[in-house]
Formats: sequence, structure tokens, C-alpha cells
Amino acid sequence: MKRLLLAAAILAGLAVQAKAADPLTLQLKWVAQAQFAGYYVAQAKGFYKDANLDVTIKPGGPDINPSQVIAGGGADVVVDWLPSALAAREKGVPLVNIAQMFQRSGLELTCRKDSGVKTPADFKGKTLGVWFAGNEYPFLSWMSRLKLKITGGPEGVTVLKQGFNVDPLLQKQAACISTMTYNEYWQLIEAGMKADQLVVFKYEDQGVATLEDGLFAVQSKLADPAFVDRLARFVKATAKGWQYAIDHQEDAVKIVLENDTAGAQTAAHQKRMLSEIAKLIAGGKHGIGYLDPEAFDRTVNVLLSGESDPVISKRPEGAWTHAVWEKMGG
Amino acid sequence: MSGVYPSVPLFFIVIVGVLTLAMLSRGEAPVWRVATPLALGVLVLAIWQLVCVGYGVPAVLLPPPGAIATAIGRHLPTLGADFQQTVLRAVLPGWAIGCVAGLLTAIAIDCSPFLRRGILPLGSLVSAMPIVGIAPIMVMWFGFDWQSKAAVVVAMTFFPMLVNATAGLESTGAMERDLMRSYAAGYWLTLLKLRLPAALPFIFNALKLNSTLALIGAIVAEFFGTPIVGMGFRISTEVARMNLDVVWAEITLAAVVGSASFAALALVERTVTFWHPSFRK
Repeated sequence: MKRLLLAAAILAGLAVQAKAADPLTLQLKWVAQAQFAGYYVAQAKGFYKDANLDVTIKPGGPDINPSQVIAGGGADVVVDWLPSALAAREKGVPLVNIAQMFQRSGLELTCRKDSGVKTPADFKGKTLGVWFAGNEYPFLSWMSRLKLKITGGPEGVTVLKQGFNVDPLLQKQAACISTMTYNEYWQLIEAGMKADQLVVFKYEDQGVATLEDGLFAVQSKLADPAFVDRLARFVKATAKGWQYAIDHQEDAVKIVLENDTAGAQTAAHQKRMLSEIAKLIAGGKHGIGYLDPEAFDRTVNVLLSGESDPVISKRPEGAWTHAVWEKMGG
Repeated sequence: MSGVYPSVPLFFIVIVGVLTLAMLSRGEAPVWRVATPLALGVLVLAIWQLVCVGYGVPAVLLPPPGAIATAIGRHLPTLGADFQQTVLRAVLPGWAIGCVAGLLTAIAIDCSPFLRRGILPLGSLVSAMPIVGIAPIMVMWFGFDWQSKAAVVVAMTFFPMLVNATAGLESTGAMERDLMRSYAAGYWLTLLKLRLPAALPFIFNALKLNSTLALIGAIVAEFFGTPIVGMGFRISTEVARMNLDVVWAEITLAAVVGSASFAALALVERTVTFWHPSFRK
């Protein structure tokens, strides 16, 4: 009798383990770095496994646009910035925001003090470096608001398509370049520039900030309740991962570096990045992952305000959902 | 989109098109020689349009020719500005400098065996460097504007011209060179009157090859840092914005420019090297 019970228990245990975890592919917006610590921590600490998920994390890179990847079927959920996702939505890729990770924007324009730029009014006639591939929308809105033409000349600004490094500023090829508070600004400092040689304009302070890292999925897939349930488990585990990363930053940096297959990142740079990212995640009304509809509307207003060249032409409908947030009991 | 449309019209068009082509290609007169490739082009465009529109292919993947033509019409000023920035400012100077440098180096190599042993291996090293490696370095050296793109084009066009010109200079036969010697012609006179004209077919070969390489080089170099005008810039940013019809419009422009420059060079070659056996009927 005892043997029978033991055999039954073992079989039951095997049966539970034999049930395969639900697969999910996540496409990141950039290379493996502390900007995505939450996802890597959730994977390394087993939060995804505990939620019965088998998550594949695909790092991004130069000219990898997450909205295009998901349009081509290369991922189930992507990390992308809201302007890029809304523009893709207008082009016919029905992306829906299912969770918002970063509550504040880290985008800023960093200028050399010796180029003579003290306020945004001084941008006239200068050369500014801007990222493209989906990252140019906040800049275009800001220039439109300042009524500065981006085609150059003394009354406008000359725009350079900036690569993903800070050389144009170091080499004085541009008066200002786009930087993130958590990455390129510190690359400038590490390259030898002093903070008093730089003037920084944060998009948040200029009133042209847009929502950045959020999670997006394709609308048609959200009609399937099983998929929504999968996403809910994913977002809950991710939020847990982010909280752990914020509370245990040294450990999180170690995990991120383990996932850096290119070996290009340094521990010091990642530590600083994570501490800056923590500032961007904090301040949410209801916890990590909640999309504040007011913040969404603020982003839409910034994007619609470009007079000559608006990023999107009409107010988006149904571009976000709280269904996943509610399913996860947030 | 199932049922009769678009499969039946598609089938019909393919059959009629192939039969028409078969008939046209029989003709010997020049008018039929021009009509056949034109008809083939029209057939391909018609099939493309029907497949895209009829089977509902998403425009993000492949826009139909009609949408591309509309994009060309709508963006004509942009295409013109891109043409000016890439072709006129980067490709032409870079191609000219690269080809002239290659030719002069080939003559220098011909003069001096010391240079021949030293420069040819270096030239092959320069040509083996990938554009994606040279382009960012040139941007750092020469700035974001057309100068760095022209520099990339020079690096790409130098070696093909060098190799072809060297081969051309060695292509004269011993009989012809002896004849010049019997006329008491020195090195430079022989070079000018015999060896350079004999090398012209090789040089034109390199010029045509380089015109293609130069266009590719300039477009790819623009992916790595550029002011916001230019064919490479337009292609990379419009792909990211999913405006594939504009991308195809730029591709069409590049194809037209490439074909036109090749045809122009072939015409000049025909006029200048009329004596070459390849032009005999």
C-alpha cells in the first residue's frame, strides 16, 4: 500500500514537471544593458519560471526597430517607446501598450558650453545630433514647437543623423547631441568631459517628454484570453524583477553583465545606468507596469503638436489597454 | 480575395505576355530589339501590381508599383535633393578622384619596379576593407557631410582602376613595342601613343565597374552618420518609419542613375575605342 502511494506521488510529480512552460519571446529596444535589468533579473532569479513561462529575451541593436520586429512576427511582446509604437500603429501595425515600465523620460539634448548654447533659443543656426530609427519623434515635436526648421540655414537648425556614440560632440562636429540621462551623458563624462563644460536640456523640463520604455503586443493576439493571461503573468514577474533590481542593484548589474555576450559593457557604467533608470521607474501611481492614461494623453498631445510635420496625424484609438494590468491583479 | 479574382486575370496576363514576348523576340529590326525588353518590363510590373493588390500583400512588406509611382510623384523634390547630395556631391567627386588616382598609380608602378612590389599588395589591402568599417572612420576624419562619403568612394574605386590599368598597360604585344622602338620613340612617347590607347578598353572596364561601386559605396556610407539628406539616409530612415513606398522610390532612382551612368560610359567607350575587336559586327 505504501509503495503504491509512493509510486503515485512520484508519477504525479513527474506529470507536473512534464507540463511545458508557456513560451514567450521578448524583443528589447537596445543591447543588453541595465536599461533592461528587470527582464534579465526576472529570468535569472526564476521569476518567469515560477510563473510557468519560458521567456526568450532578444537583445536589440542599431537599426533594429522593435515595432518592425513584432510586425514581422519575430516576437510576442516588445519593449519600445510610445511615439515609435504610435507611428507604427498609424502605418498599419496594430500595436497596443499593455504595460508602461518607465514613468519618466530619460531623453535629453546635451550641448557644449563653448558652442554658445545657453537656452533653447540659442539652437538657431547650430548643428544638432539626433537619433533616427524611431527615436526622432520627440525631437521633431520639440523643434516644431520652437518653430525651428530642421532643414538648416541661419534661421533653422542643421540636423545630423547621429550614430549611437558621442563622438560628434567630442569632435565638435555638432553643438548638441541626443543623450539619455542613463547612458550617453555618462559616456561623455567617461570620455573626459567635465559636467561644467556641458549644458543639458531634459525633455521632461522642456515639456516635450514622451513615454519611453513600455511593453507592446499586437492587437489581434490580445483577443485570445489565454494570451492575455500569459502576458499578465509575464508583466507581474517582470515587475517583480524590476523591484528586485532596484533593491539589489549590485546583484542586478552582475546579472546584466552575464547576459552581455558582446562583452562591451563595464560594471561601473552599468551601475550608474541602473541608478539613473531607478529614478525613471519610480513615481508610478499604482506600481511598476501601470500605464497612467494622463501620461499617455500628454505624449499624444506632444506628438500632435508638430504643426508642419506632426508625428501622428490623428488621436490614436485603442492604443493601450489595462486588461493585462487587471488580469495580473495590479 | 479568393475565387476568380485575381487568379484568372493573372493567369491570362501571364499567358498573353509570354506569347507576345516570344513573337517580339523573333524580329530582327532595331524596333523589335527595343520592344522586347520594354514588353518584359511592362509584364513584370503588371504581374507585380496584380499580385500585390489582388492578394492583399501588406504595403509594409511589398508596395505595388502604383504606390511607388505615386510616392515618386509626391516626393520629387526630396528625390532631387537626395540625388544632389549623394550623386552630385559624393559619388561624382569620389569616383573621379579614385579613378584618376588609380590610373596615375598604375603609370607610376609601370615606371618603377620598386613601387610595383610595394603598392600592389597595399592596394589589395585597401580594397579588402569592408565599407561598414571604413565609413564610420571617414566620418570621424572628414565630418558628417559629403566629404566623408566621397572618401569612402575613393577607397572603393582606387583598387579596381589600379588593377585594370596595370593589366591594360601590360597588354601591348612585343611586336608593337618593338615597332615604336624602331621609330626611336622614348618611354613617354610610347606610353602616350601606344600603351595608353591600348589600355583604354581595360580603363573603361574599370570606369564602368567603379560607377556601380561608387553608387553603392556612397549610399551605404550614408547609413553611418550624415546630414538629413541623401539617398542612403532616406532609405534607412524611411525603412524605420515603414514608408516602404519611399524606399522603393529611392531604389528606383538609384537603379536609373546606375543604368544611365553605365550606358553613358559604354557610349563614350564605343566612340573612343571603336577599333577594338569587341565592337565589330
